[in-house]
Amino acid sequence: MMTEISVIHLLDVATGEGVEGELRDAIEQAQLDDWQKEWQPALLAVLQDLARRGVPVDQWPQSWHWDWGKKTARVQGLLAFRGFSVVAQGVTQGLSQVDLTKAAREPSQAGKPLVYLDYVEVAPWNRPELGRPTRLRGVGSALLTAAVALSDEEGFKGRIGLHSLPQADAFYAKIGMTDLGQDAAYQNLRYFEMTAARAQAFLEKE
Amino acid sequence: MTAKRTMTLNLTDAEMRALDDLSVRKDITKTAVLRQALRLYQTIEARVEKGDKLLFENDATKEKAELMFL
Repeated sequence: MMTEISVIHLLDVATGEGVEGELRDAIEQAQLDDWQKEWQPALLAVLQDLARRGVPVDQWPQSWHWDWGKKTARVQGLLAFRGFSVVAQGVTQGLSQVDLTKAAREPSQAGKPLVYLDYVEVAPWNRPELGRPTRLRGVGSALLTAAVALSDEEGFKGRIGLHSLPQADAFYAKIGMTDLGQDAAYQNLRYFEMTAARAQAFLEKE
Repeated sequence: MTAKRTMTLNLTDAEMRALDDLSVRKDITKTAVLRQALRLYQTIEARVEKGDKLLFENDATKEKAELMFL
């Protein structure tokens, strides 16, 4: 399958200037190479810093052990899963993997299909919560928008769902996703859903 | 948007009714129902081939039933 590429606009935090990037509807070997060669050393430096400062492991970024090579290989060839990547300034800036077989839980749309964001991760240098200067802003939003657009394209009316890592709870609430509370079946992470009505408003704004 | 191909589908009345019903209940088009069915079928097939079992669990009673997938 040919990878579809859309132009997106990100913000260079240091200069305040807009930066063009690519949203790609796949995670390919080049992205996995970037994850291995660029993200991993940057993340290792962050983790070493956290360890040196005595920060407990349960307060480390929850995605520190994610292996995108394994995640991608596990769903290779399966129609139910899709990957997205954001590339800008010559390197992969964010990755996501979505599952199209899940059903909504929010009462007004319970049982209807949605796009479930299994994993979303932006490059370590784009994450303000890691306490270091960030390079680009808008990568996570671009990946979220891609999921809403895919849901719309698949006839799911933009419905999406996800389990949020604690540092992202406020962001998902801010963009109008419904907080359905902690999910005991999923590491007690909060489960958020975007309704069809909210998704249409979200897509119009984007 | 990924290019799609068109095919003719021959269904019995009962199958068509089931498709119509799912389309209404799931709030998606009939094409989307069939695409969703294909995704699920392929996913289950891949898991069963790996040696996994397909189990349903009643949320209230915790009773488990295995769905034979041949």
